[in-house]
Amino acid sequence: MSRPAPVNPSGRPIPPSPRAHGPDHSAKKPAGPFHLGSLQRRLLVAAGVFVTMALVVAGLGIGLILHRFVRGQVDSRLDSQLVAIAASLRRGPGGVSVGRNLDGPPFDRERAGWYWQVRQGAEAVRSGSLEGRDLALPALPHPGRDDDAPRPADGTGPWGQPLILRILVLPPEGVAGPAILVASAPASALNGPLREAAGVLALVLGLLGLCLMAGTFAQVRLGLKPLDRLRRDLTDIRAGRRTRVPGKQPAEIRPLVTEVNALLDQNAANLERARNHVANLAHGLKTPLATLTLALSDSHRDPDGVLSGLVSAMDRQVRHHLRRARTAALEGGTRERTAITGHVADLRTTFLRLYAEKSLAIDVAIPADLAVACDGQDIDEMLGNLVDNACQWGRTRVRVSGVVTDEGAIVTVEDDGPGLDDAAAAQAIRRGRRLDETVPGNGFGLSITTELAELYGGTLRLDRSPLGGLRAGLVLPV
Amino acid sequence: MKILLVEDDAPLAAEIARVLRAEHFALDHAVNGEDGQHLGETETYDAVVLDLGLPKRGGLAVLQSWRAGGHTVPVLILTARDGWSDKVAGFKAGADDFLVKPFRVEELVIRLRALVRRASANGASRLVCGPLTYDSGLGTFECDGLPLKLTGLEWRVLSCLILRKDGVVPRGQLIERVYDGDADVDSNSVEVIMTRLRRKIAPARIEGVRGHGYRLMAGAEA
Repeated sequence: MSRPAPVNPSGRPIPPSPRAHGPDHSAKKPAGPFHLGSLQRRLLVAAGVFVTMALVVAGLGIGLILHRFVRGQVDSRLDSQLVAIAASLRRGPGGVSVGRNLDGPPFDRERAGWYWQVRQGAEAVRSGSLEGRDLALPALPHPGRDDDAPRPADGTGPWGQPLILRILVLPPEGVAGPAILVASAPASALNGPLREAAGVLALVLGLLGLCLMAGTFAQVRLGLKPLDRLRRDLTDIRAGRRTRVPGKQPAEIRPLVTEVNALLDQNAANLERARNHVANLAHGLKTPLATLTLALSDSHRDPDGVLSGLVSAMDRQVRHHLRRARTAALEGGTRERTAITGHVADLRTTFLRLYAEKSLAIDVAIPADLAVACDGQDIDEMLGNLVDNACQWGRTRVRVSGVVTDEGAIVTVEDDGPGLDDAAAAQAIRRGRRLDETVPGNGFGLSITTELAELYGGTLRLDRSPLGGLRAGLVLPV
Repeated sequence: MKILLVEDDAPLAAEIARVLRAEHFALDHAVNGEDGQHLGETETYDAVVLDLGLPKRGGLAVLQSWRAGGHTVPVLILTARDGWSDKVAGFKAGADDFLVKPFRVEELVIRLRALVRRASANGASRLVCGPLTYDSGLGTFECDGLPLKLTGLEWRVLSCLILRKDGVVPRGQLIERVYDGDADVDSNSVEVIMTRLRRKIAPARIEGVRGHGYRLMAGAEA
């Protein structure tokens, strides 16, 4: 069955659902960390960048502190050596000497970089580890105010080894000139522990980074969960299982939900306006048509019936297009669940009056909680046509009953009239395919009911009732 | 039989009036809901043809006011809206029948006659009083099996009497149900119609009840 593209109330075609086109074409947009299609990926990339930056800064900072700490340790070892030297130093005009052996570990290891030396003029005493070689001094740093404190310096040992130096200059004493005390440690005494610590530090920081990223991932997933729920709610709305997005939402999403709900309300209002517009159009066209029909009933005005024929053709066109507009407005609309007992009770009252001449009994057996996912007006339309048909053909009894099955709700309308044979039943259902070509009358309502039921994803089945006449089973989604 | 027509569309109202008068109905016409409601509350009608889309006061509101005020006159609703929901709403408001525009003359007339007959508690569509038979579907009278030729006024009087054949129809009510609202009623004219009718329907007869009204009797004997 081919059906024209659905139109919305303003008459423009509704663009097809993006879901029907598979992959999302927005992937062609410019790339880059902040143009990524996924919010989750965007948050994770940003978190990754910041976590890496934070870890690098932390690593550098900790390295610096470690460096200062280890350097302080080495310096204080050297300084205490210098203090010990100064304490046992004997200075005379002829030279310098130390009163005791100052080559305690680690200064006893030869060529290891742990050296000390005292120089006064051309005379010098030095640690055994120097093996008699001179420890070359860098240009002496400019003496500060606290001249008696050791000063740091970098130097090179006699075997080309980089050294850390502490230098203490003792002022001239009596006839003796100034004495320069130096203690040195190998640069490896600083770099070795640092290198060892850096390995552990990198490992720990790496683990920290992994934990942070895992935490961020969990947080992003958790944080985006309401969006996922919102998407499911919107899917439900499209499918007609819901009419509004529930208001219980996180504060950040609530404004969005409010807007979506406002949009849904506006949509419903537009639908209502479109329906009213259609009804007004009907009124506007049908009153002149009614006047024409009555005017042409005077046989002088329309002796051969041609004009009456034209008027009924116009009426059929009006009906057809009104119905078309109404069903188009229905497609894609939201569907609330409507309890049908009230509708059936009202229809029963209506038909008892309409068929007051026939003294029909209309029995209703519908469970009070039977609800279907259809608009109330359309329930009236579908059941109204079925009950009308049953009242028209039934002799004494019409029965309306309802039951819920796996298929959906089945509302059955049956009568004790002559019924239809299979061919006629198929014909009655099919005839309304071209509503503008059908003439109101026998069986017309059944085709309207079929068309409406199909719009809701339901069906209409006709067979023979145990009462003797036609049994119409209307299957509707619940 | 007198009908109140409440319809704002002048051409349609004119056509309905023409058709109904041709079928012997007396007719008052109101062009808006307020006037229609007032006429329905103050005058006597056998039936009302009520449009739903009316200026000043909608047809459903008018109907609800009548029903709330205890007015039981049969009401036939005219509407452009042909959905069952609209019909249900009409019947819930107290309508007795429903006609969707555009409609055929015969349909309107048949439904009006049926409404009037049912309202006077007559179940069968053929009413019999002695030799006189009234077919409410066709709106025709027969006397001894032969069709009666009646003028509009005669038809209205006779249908009014045969619908209430078991009782006396007060003179005032008879005049209200027979003449249009704006007609100038001569006090003798009813008697003149009665005289003519008595000649046509014999041996059935119309008995005058002094100071009260008229009664349709089956036979010649008192």
